[in-house]
Amino acid sequence: MSSDTLKKRKTKVLRSEGGTPEMKRGRGEGDQQDVRVYSEEVELDGRDPDQDYEQFKQTCESLAKLMGEIYELKANGAKDGCTEVEQRRMQSCIHFMNLKKLNRLAHMRLKRGRDQTHEAKQRVDVLHLQLQNLLYEVMHLQKEISKCLEFKSKHEEIDLVSEAEFYQEAPQDISRPQLTKDDPHQLTLARLDWELEQRKRLAEKYRESQATKEKIQKSIEVKKEHLSSLQPGLNAIMQASLPVQEYLSMPFEQTQKQTEIARHLPPSLYVLFVQANAYGQACDRNLSVSIIGDVDEAKALSKPPEDSQDDESDSDAEEEQEKTKRRRPTTGGQLDDKRREMLKRHPLSLCLDLKCKGINNAITLLFADGSVLHLYFYYLMNLNIMTVKTKVSTSTDLNTAISAGELLNSDTLLSCLYTNDQGRETPNPANRYQFDKVGIVSFADYVEELGHPYLWVQSLGGLQFPSDAPEVCVDMTSLSASHMESTIKLLRGRVQSRLALHKQFASLEHSIIPVSAECQHLFPAKVISRLARWTTITHQEYMDLHFVRHVTEAGLAKETDLYFMGVVERGTARLQAAVVLSPRYPEISPLFSLSLSWKGERSGRSDDNLRAMESEVNVFKNELQGPRPGHQLLTNQIARLCVCLDVYLETDGQDDSVEGPREFPREKMCLRTVRGPNRLKPFKYNHPQGFFSHR
Amino acid sequence: NKKNCSGTSHFSKWVTCPFKGRHGLALLHMSVFSQSFSPCGRFLAAANNYGEIALFSLSSALSPDATELSQKPILTFTAHEGPVFCLLSTDSQLLSAGNGEISAWSWAELIKKVMGRGKILSSCLMTLLLVSLCCLSQDNSLIVGGGDNNIHVMDLEQGNFKSVLHGHTDYIHCLSIREREGEILSGGEDGAVRIWDCRTGQSVHCIEVYKYESCARPQYGKWISCLTTDSDWMLCGGGPSLSLWHLRSLSPTSIFSLPGCQRQATFYQDMILTVGEGPCVSHCLLGGDVKAQIPCTPQSLNTLALNTNSTEHRVLTVGGSSDHIDVFTNLSYRAFSLSF
Repeated sequence: MSSDTLKKRKTKVLRSEGGTPEMKRGRGEGDQQDVRVYSEEVELDGRDPDQDYEQFKQTCESLAKLMGEIYELKANGAKDGCTEVEQRRMQSCIHFMNLKKLNRLAHMRLKRGRDQTHEAKQRVDVLHLQLQNLLYEVMHLQKEISKCLEFKSKHEEIDLVSEAEFYQEAPQDISRPQLTKDDPHQLTLARLDWELEQRKRLAEKYRESQATKEKIQKSIEVKKEHLSSLQPGLNAIMQASLPVQEYLSMPFEQTQKQTEIARHLPPSLYVLFVQANAYGQACDRNLSVSIIGDVDEAKALSKPPEDSQDDESDSDAEEEQEKTKRRRPTTGGQLDDKRREMLKRHPLSLCLDLKCKGINNAITLLFADGSVLHLYFYYLMNLNIMTVKTKVSTSTDLNTAISAGELLNSDTLLSCLYTNDQGRETPNPANRYQFDKVGIVSFADYVEELGHPYLWVQSLGGLQFPSDAPEVCVDMTSLSASHMESTIKLLRGRVQSRLALHKQFASLEHSIIPVSAECQHLFPAKVISRLARWTTITHQEYMDLHFVRHVTEAGLAKETDLYFMGVVERGTARLQAAVVLSPRYPEISPLFSLSLSWKGERSGRSDDNLRAMESEVNVFKNELQGPRPGHQLLTNQIARLCVCLDVYLETDGQDDSVEGPREFPREKMCLRTVRGPNRLKPFKYNHPQGFFSHR
Repeated sequence: NKKNCSGTSHFSKWVTCPFKGRHGLALLHMSVFSQSFSPCGRFLAAANNYGEIALFSLSSALSPDATELSQKPILTFTAHEGPVFCLLSTDSQLLSAGNGEISAWSWAELIKKVMGRGKILSSCLMTLLLVSLCCLSQDNSLIVGGGDNNIHVMDLEQGNFKSVLHGHTDYIHCLSIREREGEILSGGEDGAVRIWDCRTGQSVHCIEVYKYESCARPQYGKWISCLTTDSDWMLCGGGPSLSLWHLRSLSPTSIFSLPGCQRQATFYQDMILTVGEGPCVSHCLLGGDVKAQIPCTPQSLNTLALNTNSTEHRVLTVGGSSDHIDVFTNLSYRAFSLSF
């Protein structure tokens, strides 16, 4: 509505305005010269708004009075159009005209006021903008000033000679003391000049040195070329000399190479290398030594000087470890790294190849081909111990016997080479503390990966650790030498016995007991009991057997031993034999425990005769050993077991009057079937006569 | 004097460094066959299946401050090549019967050897194949039951054999003497108990125990392995059940229902003590009841001995298929074990 009214007003104003120029023109056309032009705007200038307001009030008042008079007249019954009323209407019309004019004037005045305000505002704005510009300029300038103030010249970083030195050394034309004494700026400039001068001189000198160096290098190059041109010639000579070396069986070159590499071996491996070489040359042609591993890595390792002293480097490493430990709380990964570092072995290792000549025993135990025992010796740098891994290679296939699986296993092959030397724990007492630091519980967990730290290995390497019993310290090399021969002999014996067992087991699994010709006289020609089964059992299975309690109680069933179960059968009788086989077999003989199931269950505990059979194979075994070194002991023991079972069964008829045929007719000749208070049967076989008697 | 242990067999190896705990195997398979107390009652000699005789000091083993060591032999020596089935003490000597020979050892020397060297005193070689048992009678003669199925009577003073008693058809397990009647009783593998007259050397009676239904145990056999007498009473057993016989009527009066074969039995006060198969000493009443069975270390027992020579060391010792000899200071429980 308001907008409507505004429009109306505008149109009105426009009309009036539009009208006026027309009027002006129209009038202007009429009388140009006459300047009496009416202009409301001009009139407006001449009027006073207060007067207008006064006039407005008067007009309204007189209008109201006139209206009141009209009303009164009308009320008094005056007729429409009567003069009085008409007069008054005229008067009020005039008043209305007056009001209209006043209104128009008020509008014009308002407009003008607005315009004026706008104009003033614009002026203020311009001024404000100017002010802003100026302020910005001021700020910029200030920034520039501060930037300038903060400017750092490069020369401040240049290390200049001291002032006194400068005056002393610099020539006059640079120092110009009369000018620079008072002016620090000039002084600095002069000093910089001097610096530049000096540097120029040095650069010149550098260039000269470079040139001489190049010259020398060139001459070296030339000399080198000359030397390398000699190499092929020398090689050719060496090559030519090889046949001669071979012909004279003096492998100089190879040994030279080996000794060259051997220089990088850690001390203990070096001792072993030298001793093994010496022993091999002096006593044992079937022993060969070689060095394997990365020589460059070993060289790199031996470079740092502190490595020459083992102890210091060790303690250094420990300190470092301690530091790192203190700095960071240990997490699993770090510990793993540290463990790996601690168990690190030297990049070089020794390989001893021990050829075992065929054992000259007959029948089924033929070893025409030699088999080779490979021993790999490692040195654990941080633990300062040596370990050994083994491998046996044979030319024939040995995978036939299942129960023999453990025999040539690297883990058990060399177990207890010397009494109680199981090679599962580290022999170096210091290692225990090292292990504590990185959380290794036992070295045994790492044996699989690193090899066994047997005591004899340490001795071969000249490493001696104090054990429980105080020992006299021996000189390093003689220590190794004193062990070499006996150890090599033991190793060879061990491998031979294991290989022999391997062959024997293969036939035992096929229920054949191999008896060599030398041992034939130990058994009668006719043995009816047969080996029915031969299997390997675990230590736990052995411990669970009910008839071996006396063995376990006597502490004769150790975890390092191997365990087997043999079953001998004849007719309805079934004899179980649990066997403990020491790793040191045949030096330590196998131990049999028996259980017979025939007319009920009997064992060596409840039956004196079975006990006697046990002692027949366990105690009286010396006659069963066969040719030295007694590799046939086990098979002979089993064979004797069969014979004893025959005797046991055949002599068991207590009552001759039992009706019907006996299950086991008596075929063996016996002097006396029973003897002694415990009525033992005659288990001893007397060879040429072929009868059985008592012990 | 011939040295007994000159046998060349492997025994010597076992015996040279025998019982230092090194040869567990030999210990594991050891059996004790016989024991005998010294005349003074302070020592016990025990023999095993390896032909060794060990001497134990009862006085030190029984003393309050006894240690492990006092339960070990103070002396061990090899007396014979084969097992020693019988030991017997006379007033001054220890007699041991081995495979075909009887040796005599002076007790005085043996005891002295504790402090000195091990030296064998005297021995006399016999021509028998096997000696199973020997027994001493009043007139200083030794009665030997042999493997030749005969009983030999030897004069200990002269060292020669006075007479031979023929009759048994298999070898003789056990002998007993009735001093007052001048009778010798013998039991053997043939299952017969024979009663001999000492003076005439004739067999007076022959009881075939296995033929008596109340005693017979055909599942075991017929042999007689233990025999002992006390005035008019005889105790015998083996394959047949252990039974108490009245000798004048020659009839079994009570039968003891014990499992297994009995190997040695003895009268003790109003009781019978007996050992055999099975790890226990059985106490039986004369009436035939089994009063108690006292457990022992060995799995089966061969020998039992009561020390009557000394009142302060009055013990019962039993040995069997083990290297341990159990000692009973009180009959109702095992006190400790001596061991080889």
